[in-house]
Amino acid sequence: MSELGDLLDDIVADVDSVFLFSPSASLFERFADSETPLVVVGPENDVDADNYVELPLEFRDLRERIRFGIEGGLDNEYLEEGDQVACATKLFADDIDTISRVRAGDFEHSGVYDLFVNSRADPNVIRNVLEVAIELGKKGQKGKRVGALFVVGDAGKVMNKSRPLSYNPFEKSHVHVGDPIVDVMLKEFSRLDGAFVISDAGKIVSAYRYLEPSAEGVDIPKGLGARHMAAGAITRDTNAVAVVLSESDGLVRAFSGGEIVLELDPEEY
Amino acid sequence: MALVTARGWYADLTAAEQNLAVAVGVVVGGLILGAVTAWVVHRVLVALSVDDAVEGTPFERTAQQLGSSSVRLLAQLCGLFVFTVAALYALRTLGVLPSELFIQELVDFLPRVFIAVLVVMVGLIAADKAELVVGEQLRSIKLPEVTLIPTLVKVSVLYVAVLIALSQLGVATGALLVLLAAYAFGVFFLGGLAFKDLLSSAAAGIYLLLTEPYTIGDEVEIADNRGIVQEMDVFVTYVEDDGEEYMIPNRTVLREGAMRVRET
Repeated sequence: MSELGDLLDDIVADVDSVFLFSPSASLFERFADSETPLVVVGPENDVDADNYVELPLEFRDLRERIRFGIEGGLDNEYLEEGDQVACATKLFADDIDTISRVRAGDFEHSGVYDLFVNSRADPNVIRNVLEVAIELGKKGQKGKRVGALFVVGDAGKVMNKSRPLSYNPFEKSHVHVGDPIVDVMLKEFSRLDGAFVISDAGKIVSAYRYLEPSAEGVDIPKGLGARHMAAGAITRDTNAVAVVLSESDGLVRAFSGGEIVLELDPEEY
Repeated sequence: MALVTARGWYADLTAAEQNLAVAVGVVVGGLILGAVTAWVVHRVLVALSVDDAVEGTPFERTAQQLGSSSVRLLAQLCGLFVFTVAALYALRTLGVLPSELFIQELVDFLPRVFIAVLVVMVGLIAADKAELVVGEQLRSIKLPEVTLIPTLVKVSVLYVAVLIALSQLGVATGALLVLLAAYAFGVFFLGGLAFKDLLSSAAAGIYLLLTEPYTIGDEVEIADNRGIVQEMDVFVTYVEDDGEEYMIPNRTVLREGAMRVRET
């Protein structure tokens, strides 16, 4: 089996830093004295690592997960462009079973880390909205496939660049995303046309909004509908981010600055 | 039939033997009653989910190391009290105790000791729990000074508990009471002074949130800051104007009024 060991040695040879994805405490202990810089990536920093990147979603797609970790590492200056990184992560098992080697900056900067951490809105709010969209995409509304558009953050500006399609069901209510009951409400109201507007702190400002941003210069892939175009345009025009559940292909996409930064398949979560 | 036999047997005994029989009966009854009391108290405490509430406190952990739990200890204490009363009564029947006066004093004193022990125990648990809860709330603030607050809360709760226990036992607590008064005055007066702005903002914020004279997306002018309302919470209103975001305390809104720009 020495060939296999050699292969593994080749993969991890001369790496500049090691990324551990959700390591167990004992594994983290074993790495504590190692020479190479260590970064922990996970939903919670339960091992109290110094270098830590918070993972807002347990990305099923390994590429997405590693990409998020690397972008977070770059953003926090745990590593530099061109650094060789060994990523230890879980693919099938419940603990770490996969090692891969990446060069930081090899893939284009997708902005998925910025989407969560450097947006106007609170990272938890964006995560909660994504979870609602994923849930909605998975189950649909009463078994029927639905589409939805959530505009998160910069709510004042978004409200001024949109108009109501009908009475706002959330008027004078003080409900925030992330509350289980409110998530059900959001799903129920998803049958309404128009967009949900959610503030930086997660307050649901309005449903039923018709967005009127200037769509000039918005470039999204052909074949996506008006909902995606509106999402791209509003995020270009304001500092909001948008989360769209597509009615036609069932994918959840996140927009920031007029571009798609994240594409998820709800079925995988 | 059995009753008649028992009564006959009892009547045949001498006075001393009769007393002994009564004493044994009382002790056995006290044991049973004590056990029942402990069981009932245990059940009531569990039903009130006290055992979940004290989970994780140092007191509970110590109790568990000794193979018990806070709830069981409290229940056992109550049972023990019942049994002690029964035992005392039995001793009196036997005439072992020296004088009637001594018993009278004991009867006065015993409930106080019981309550004092109970108060100290509850105080210990409550102090640990308060420390845990406050520490949990402040966990996101990673400043060394902040760790002082949970300890302070714990010590305060313990202090009050010990004070109650001591006054139950009849120890002179005058000086301690003065200290407590000074401490409470400090906390409330200085705390009130420190939180004055927050409190008045919160009061105004509740009104604003309930009536919503303006809401997110409206253009307003508050205290010469004009812009679009971005966010409202209990304490502050965020107004943004061309990349400048003003954080306006809600008390300013009520004190100085707000101008809402209506589109024509």
